[in-house]
Amino acid sequence: MNDQLEASLKIAGSGLESQSTRLRIVSENLANAQSTGSTPGANPYARKTVTFESEMDRAAGVDLVQVKSIGVDRAPFRVEHEPGNPAADSKGFVKYPNINVIMEMADLREANRSYEANLQIIKQVQNLNSQTIDLLRNSS
Amino acid sequence: MDPVHLFELASQQARWLGIRQMLVAQNVANANTPGFKASDVTPFEDVFNSNEITIKATNPGHIGSDPNDIESVTMKEATPWEVTYSGNSVSIENEMIKAGEVNRAYSMNTSIRKAFHQMMMTSLKG
Repeated sequence: MNDQLEASLKIAGSGLESQSTRLRIVSENLANAQSTGSTPGANPYARKTVTFESEMDRAAGVDLVQVKSIGVDRAPFRVEHEPGNPAADSKGFVKYPNINVIMEMADLREANRSYEANLQIIKQVQNLNSQTIDLLRNSS
Repeated sequence: MDPVHLFELASQQARWLGIRQMLVAQNVANANTPGFKASDVTPFEDVFNSNEITIKATNPGHIGSDPNDIESVTMKEATPWEVTYSGNSVSIENEMIKAGEVNRAYSMNTSIRKAFHQMMMTSLKG
């Protein structure tokens, strides 16, 4: 009868995995917020994006979640005039990544919130399981 | 009073609560999936009532609404709290409330079962 509760744990686990992938991508973006190219006029690091999709688990008949794809943000790069930079083109312009740190922080908070929600579900399911086990414990 | 019937009812509700918890987990995990529609279970009263009216299914081939069957009690949520631009209708707050409800109902369920078991033991032992 605890089939559903086990399935809940599996679903919440898939949620944790997807959200941690999202956190990883956010930290990659933040770490590379200033990464320019190395040759003159080269393109810098492009912002990465994550999309999710729900995936039917045939064995349990439930909808898990998984990372659908890790894409690249097509927004234009930030251009600054820095003739001394090794990545500057012939006119002295340097391309910086299209990363907005505030936006990344907002994404970070949202991923964090979703991660916590999944953790909360796992705690609840553990509580339900222990309540079921307690039925046997005190029946003397 | 038929005590066996009460145990059956209690385990039926426990199964229903398990399915509900599973759907809550499903909704929370897909809280950021584009186009995902939140789902819930039909209320236990409805499942129970429809179960009483239908003919008892004594054979797996018989047709009837079975609370153990996930498909027969699952439904799409009629009035979502919010639908985001991506078409996702999951509200984490709402899901947390539902998880709390499940938890409360489950404690009551196990407590009642425990109390009933105690009553049976008392009548047995004297």
